[in-house]
Amino acid sequence: MIVGLKDSLKLIGVSILACCAVFVCTMFLNYYFDLRAVGDLVTDANAQALYDAQLLTSKVVILITGLCLALTAVVMLFFYIRHYIDAHKKQLGILKALGYADIKIASGFWTFGLSVFIGAAAGFALAFAVMPTFYATQNNEKLLPDMSVGFHGEILAYFVIIPTLIYASVAILYAYYKLKTPVIALLKDSVQYKNVKKRGNEREKTSFLTGVALNVLSGKKSLAFFIFFAAFCFSAMIQMGLSMRELASPMMEAIMIAIGVLLACTTLILAVVTAVKENAKTIALMRAYGYSQAECANAVLGVYRPFGLLGFAVGTVYQWGLLEMILALVFKNVETNYKFDFVAMAISFAVYVVVYEAILLLYALKLRKASLKQIMTE
Amino acid sequence: MIEAKGIFKTYGKGESAVEVLKGIDVSVSDGEFSVILGASGSGKSTLLNVISGLERPDKGQMLYDGMDICTLKDKEVTAFRRENVGFVFQQYYLLPNMTVDKNVRMGADLAQNKDYKEIIEAVGLADKLRKYPAELSGGEQQRVAIARALAKKPKFLFCDEPTGALDEETGRLTLDFMSNLQRQYGFSIIMVTHNANIARMADTVIRMNSGRVISVEKNADVKSAYEIEW
Repeated sequence: MIVGLKDSLKLIGVSILACCAVFVCTMFLNYYFDLRAVGDLVTDANAQALYDAQLLTSKVVILITGLCLALTAVVMLFFYIRHYIDAHKKQLGILKALGYADIKIASGFWTFGLSVFIGAAAGFALAFAVMPTFYATQNNEKLLPDMSVGFHGEILAYFVIIPTLIYASVAILYAYYKLKTPVIALLKDSVQYKNVKKRGNEREKTSFLTGVALNVLSGKKSLAFFIFFAAFCFSAMIQMGLSMRELASPMMEAIMIAIGVLLACTTLILAVVTAVKENAKTIALMRAYGYSQAECANAVLGVYRPFGLLGFAVGTVYQWGLLEMILALVFKNVETNYKFDFVAMAISFAVYVVVYEAILLLYALKLRKASLKQIMTE
Repeated sequence: MIEAKGIFKTYGKGESAVEVLKGIDVSVSDGEFSVILGASGSGKSTLLNVISGLERPDKGQMLYDGMDICTLKDKEVTAFRRENVGFVFQQYYLLPNMTVDKNVRMGADLAQNKDYKEIIEAVGLADKLRKYPAELSGGEQQRVAIARALAKKPKFLFCDEPTGALDEETGRLTLDFMSNLQRQYGFSIIMVTHNANIARMADTVIRMNSGRVISVEKNADVKSAYEIEW
């Protein structure tokens, strides 16, 4: 097998994204189906408005969360496949040189779909574990007819089986596309040389450390996206959770905040780990030459800081816009008192800065382990 | 003056432990060209790493003008390397995504050396400033590595088999550059090699075998890179 099961299990980031997406989507789609089933029991005009609002909210949440996280999972999957091919290009080059067809090698990448299956199955199970409490909270409010959790088999197909098959196919097709590289380029690192020529980030007057930072950034642009995404999730989900006390139950608030923190921390740690691993040789050499740990950390990790701040700002605007839109579309007949929550923003920002800097500091300390001897024996 | 006193170094633990350095006592005078000569596995590269402060010994003292760098904290050892030490390796270890200019600036910026281009010129690469390592030959890459090391104005230049990956002609050229630059700038060279012919270029030859120094000889008749056999 070209790609081992262990390799697919390393895609923990994809699994967590899939888990969060399927958890939210399963919960809301199941709720949507169960709510529709009791639609005939709603007779009161106020209850009808709330009922319609709940149905629309479920649709909006499924659409936005599902689409957003599914697309991010695709980006992450592509990132992993590219990373895998870069890391194993000599072995893949040998296979191609021996006469293995690209499609034969690429078909081994189907196992990357397993990471989606694991995450999706976990999210599906988690949703059914949480739903009884969620339904009980809704029933206690006595605003809508009592509901019990129903099992809708099609949800399993929509959110677990079909995504697994789609992601496995996407993995094979993307790997096939990436393997179009000539054998000699895989064996001799000439791909890297071509990329180097294209980058052209060198400016005569910039210092060496600025040069390293620019190279780090241009070498792995996807990491900048992940850090942006991490900050975006953190900002949007936490602020939304804290701001929508009037629109959702405390349980929903807790779920949103938990998902935001989980997605942000996972993505951020993955991005930082990759940045450190990708630049291990540069860091080791810089350390040997006498560059301090802080200088190395700033050059390799500090360069992503602006993307985090941008992600936070976009997340803030996004959650505000989304809540305004939900209020205008869904709760137009329900009286609410929502205003942009500056306190929630300040709290989220303070926590974000602490979490982000703590993770960076943790990995900056790990740079100490980057020994030149280790790379010399490679 | 560099003095190694009673240096021991072991890798691994328990049954898999390998004692690589077994009580090394050796000294190197300032401004000298010293060669550590030995077969593969004799411990010469480990000794170089310990002397240069890249690795800590398990036991012993590593004295630079009487200051034991083994007692320094990690930060202080880093600062020591920053101030005093340059490296040239067999595999060059240039940064592939950076031009010759930027690779040399890696060393130059540490010493705030604004005149680093003089060194690039001295190693004969003035016209390759904007080239990337992949666009250079092996010998040119090694000369960039030498320029990078010298641009930080080190007092000590540590070289681990610097000609190991080069052919005879390029190897001689590289050694010639190094010895000329040493005379010009006055730094010390401590070079590890398994090539006994290169040892004839050195002021001092330290021979190692199985983790021990077996002899230290002063060379009365120092040869140039073009006078030695290869």
